[in-house]
Amino acid sequence: MTFIISLAVSIVFGAGAYLVLQRNLIRVVIGVILISNAANLFIVAAGIMRGRPPIYPLPEGQVVSDPLVQAMALTAIVIGSSVAALLLALSYRLYTSHSTIDIEDISRAEAEDAEALDRGEPIRRRRRGGGA
Amino acid sequence: MRPPAGDGKPLGPENGLTTDVPGGVPEGQTSVMTRAVSRLLLMPTIATAAAILVKGYVEPGDGFSAGVVAALGILMQYLAFGREQAERMLPLRGLGYMAFFGLLLTLVVAFRGPVVGQTLMTQWPLPGDAVIHVGTLEVITAVAFDVGIFLLVLGYGTGVISLIARVVGRAERRSKEENHRDPDEAYGEDMG
Amino acid sequence: MAALAFAAALYGWLAGGGSVDVPWAPTLDLRFAVELDGLAVLYSLLATGIGFLVVVYSSRYIPLHLHHEHRPPGDAVRFHFFILMFMGSMVGLAMAQDLILIFLFWDLTAIASYYLIGYDAHQEESRFSALMALLVTGIIAVLLLIGALVFYAAYGTFSVPELAGLTEPGLLLIVAGGLIAVAGLAKSAQVPFQFWLPRAMAAPTPVSAYLHSAAMVAAGVLLIGRVYPLLQKSEFLLGALTAIGVGSIIVGGLIALTRDVLKQLLAYSTISQYGYVVFMFGMGGKYGAMGASFYVIAHALAKSALFLTAGAVTEATGEKQLSRLGGLARPMPLLAASSGAAAAGLAALPLSIGFFKDEVLFASALQRGPVFAGLALMAATLTLAYTWRFWTGIFLGERRGEARGIPVALVLPITVLGVLVLVGGVFVSPFEELARAAGEVSYAAAIEDVELAYHLDARPENLLALATFALGALVVLSRPVWGGVVAAFARLGERVGPERVYRAGLKELNDFSTWVHQVEVRDTRGRVAAILVPAGILVGLGLVATGTSGVYRFGGFVTEDFPLLLALIGATVASVATCFVRKHVTLVLVISAAGFSIAVSYAFFGAPDVALVAVLVETLITLILLGTLKLIPFEVLRRGARIPVQYATAKVLVAVLAGGFMMALSWATLSQTTTEENAAEGLLELTPEAHGKDAVTVILADFRGLDTMGEISVVALVLLGVATLLWRGRLP
Repeated sequence: MTFIISLAVSIVFGAGAYLVLQRNLIRVVIGVILISNAANLFIVAAGIMRGRPPIYPLPEGQVVSDPLVQAMALTAIVIGSSVAALLLALSYRLYTSHSTIDIEDISRAEAEDAEALDRGEPIRRRRRGGGA
Repeated sequence: MRPPAGDGKPLGPENGLTTDVPGGVPEGQTSVMTRAVSRLLLMPTIATAAAILVKGYVEPGDGFSAGVVAALGILMQYLAFGREQAERMLPLRGLGYMAFFGLLLTLVVAFRGPVVGQTLMTQWPLPGDAVIHVGTLEVITAVAFDVGIFLLVLGYGTGVISLIARVVGRAERRSKEENHRDPDEAYGEDMG
Repeated sequence: MAALAFAAALYGWLAGGGSVDVPWAPTLDLRFAVELDGLAVLYSLLATGIGFLVVVYSSRYIPLHLHHEHRPPGDAVRFHFFILMFMGSMVGLAMAQDLILIFLFWDLTAIASYYLIGYDAHQEESRFSALMALLVTGIIAVLLLIGALVFYAAYGTFSVPELAGLTEPGLLLIVAGGLIAVAGLAKSAQVPFQFWLPRAMAAPTPVSAYLHSAAMVAAGVLLIGRVYPLLQKSEFLLGALTAIGVGSIIVGGLIALTRDVLKQLLAYSTISQYGYVVFMFGMGGKYGAMGASFYVIAHALAKSALFLTAGAVTEATGEKQLSRLGGLARPMPLLAASSGAAAAGLAALPLSIGFFKDEVLFASALQRGPVFAGLALMAATLTLAYTWRFWTGIFLGERRGEARGIPVALVLPITVLGVLVLVGGVFVSPFEELARAAGEVSYAAAIEDVELAYHLDARPENLLALATFALGALVVLSRPVWGGVVAAFARLGERVGPERVYRAGLKELNDFSTWVHQVEVRDTRGRVAAILVPAGILVGLGLVATGTSGVYRFGGFVTEDFPLLLALIGATVASVATCFVRKHVTLVLVISAAGFSIAVSYAFFGAPDVALVAVLVETLITLILLGTLKLIPFEVLRRGARIPVQYATAKVLVAVLAGGFMMALSWATLSQTTTEENAAEGLLELTPEAHGKDAVTVILADFRGLDTMGEISVVALVLLGVATLLWRGRLP
């Protein structure tokens, strides 16, 4: 079972890594969500014991799951999800300022802006709906 | 996931999100049935959340899950009735600020320890002390801590979604106005 | 408010002090230990008393200042807020007995001073100076933390009184004590960190009067006084203190003689004066310990009055330079008399409190031998010379510049301070008692036979004082002879001094961050290489280093694991599917399928709490994702979704590589989780003690409640962040 769990963790992680490398920001965020899912699964699986839920009255003679990793995973899940929400809001904000959620387009526009600033020119304003 | 709507409308290929997106739903797109059921389900949802909250110390669940459950119950109203009518029906304004009230509550619980000469984050009653019962409910500060988390998560969940709903609503208003105004002007002003 | 605090501190002193000691994080040995001992009383009285006068002064000065700078009057609130914040943290710093607590208050004062020095934030000079003060005093404060940790590692406590009983002379004391002392010296603007103080004169005058005479620079010597019971055990540290003190006296004193801008002169004088204090600490002994404390009082009273004088004079005439001022004694007699008293105090004339400060200086120097006495004589002479130059330059001589009338509130605090200086020159005993109590804390023993009084006989202290007056007069009269040399010395300092090192360091740092930014922004694909590849290499190295042969275990499979297997297969399939889905709506559905499968698998791990939260969170995040998709038009979403083929291969390769590394890592970790079961079982056993039944919830709300606090703070911040990004920070 150890092998299967770690295989599952690594496949979810690999899929997340693939999505993070995409140009589309929404896909990048989804990749981040997948990666954090993989990490949480890993944390829970890393518990010392696996068995019944750690809730009193504890079952006699049966193994009880490690409660500490569960608490840590809970914390990680919550933080992971709120970070994803923040990333989504950021993506929307980038869309309103750059009219695109394509990372390549955005970074090209940023580089142009930086050069314009270096030359002392005003930054070109972009509007929603137009191409970048 | 809670089924967002009961009318079986298929999700469109690209933008068929109408039943899924809170606030973006103009009234009349959800069926009477959906609205009635969501209305009926609100109180049970809140009750479930309360149960998860107060029994969290002895059963699965805690302030966090209770907060999300309650938030989803309220969001169901958004889905069924649209943001504006839902806010007319329920006292939802200021729910976002509830999050900070919750944070404050957890801080109070955390700093109760140092004030009475114990360690930060010491819960009351201490190990070995008797617990005061009110019915089957145990009066311990850890529950107050969980209530703080509950309020925070409730404020967070409803806050984020209704913020998105508002932005959607604004965009839709704008796109209606665009027929009369220059489109660029319409977007330029509130992006500061 | 400040007056109340002052009264409270005074009452606390008369009532015999008190102490509070609350361990706020005993697992880390952190205690909130404060005690109102002699040292604390002295610095609290200075901070609140002079703070009160400065607040009175600035209640009129700041509105005028804002008017000159064309800023709204409401900005005054910010000023008073930070002054009070500074005062509070200064009092806390004075009373703290625990090195970590000291460090916290220390950084609070640095933050408050950053905003105070940079109060005129629209001026670049102001911003630069504030940043410099923050960096120099704040970064070097890390040395204090390191020193504290070294002590803790060796003796197991952060408490200064306990450490004083435990430490032995040796290398460890020199290193740790030295680190702490360096932090103090930087804050007190001693050589070679002196350069930030003259810069900080960009602050409004009340700030200089407060921070740079009685409070911020005094915090440095306060720290040295606090840990002095430790420092005095090491001859080496005392020698170093002496050398630095002498260096500061000379550098500060000489440059003060050449400065033309009023506040610059006073700033260098402050460097020199705190050099005295450090010098006296370095000479050590009971005279040194008590003298240093007495010196701080006398200097704070006199110097804050002189700073306020500079502000008042500039307000009245509009001039900031000594060479453009003169003869103001006639139009402003009260100001002239008040600041004359203060100047006498600084220059150590008889009948002022300053006379006694030189008396103890000479007494402690004489104890150590003639060389030290000579140094003390030279130091006193320099002080006399530049003080004379300051006061006579403004008030005597030919009348230059027009003087407008200024509000009483700008003169009265100076008068109060001047009167105090004179009262101290006659009835010295209250000040003496203050200094004695503080000195006893530093000296860690009773100080009995040091008495401050006028002795009308030919004892060496008196002779030295007379010599000071004579030499001082000589220096003043012979200015044309040495003026050029000293000016050249000052210019040399500007050319090669430590400030250049600071500037160069800052520039390098800036260039580096620009470079990183360039790489990040221009080469987006580089971010893959920048993050994933080093991380992968590190993980690989870790695996190689730990040795993995025979580690991997397949793990048994029992029938009960079958549901878990199904859930994991579901998660895996859905995850892989995310890579092939084109449409965003489908993508969201697929990823939530993956999320729900993983949530279900938690249930089969015996983790119902995690499963519940994961399901709920997954629902919430799906809603948020769908909402975001609704916000962004379809054609924008589609752009960039299609990948050109040549990139696709590389991405698949990187992803497979990342997954492979993860596989190696997680399999190795999961294969050997049988070491210590005590931790988990201990938590389980403790759960009924915490009146709970669900161990996970108990851990979250009780055992590891602070982690949860951190977690929910993140959630609250995210809510704020989303509101800011979407709706200009307004919450629904």
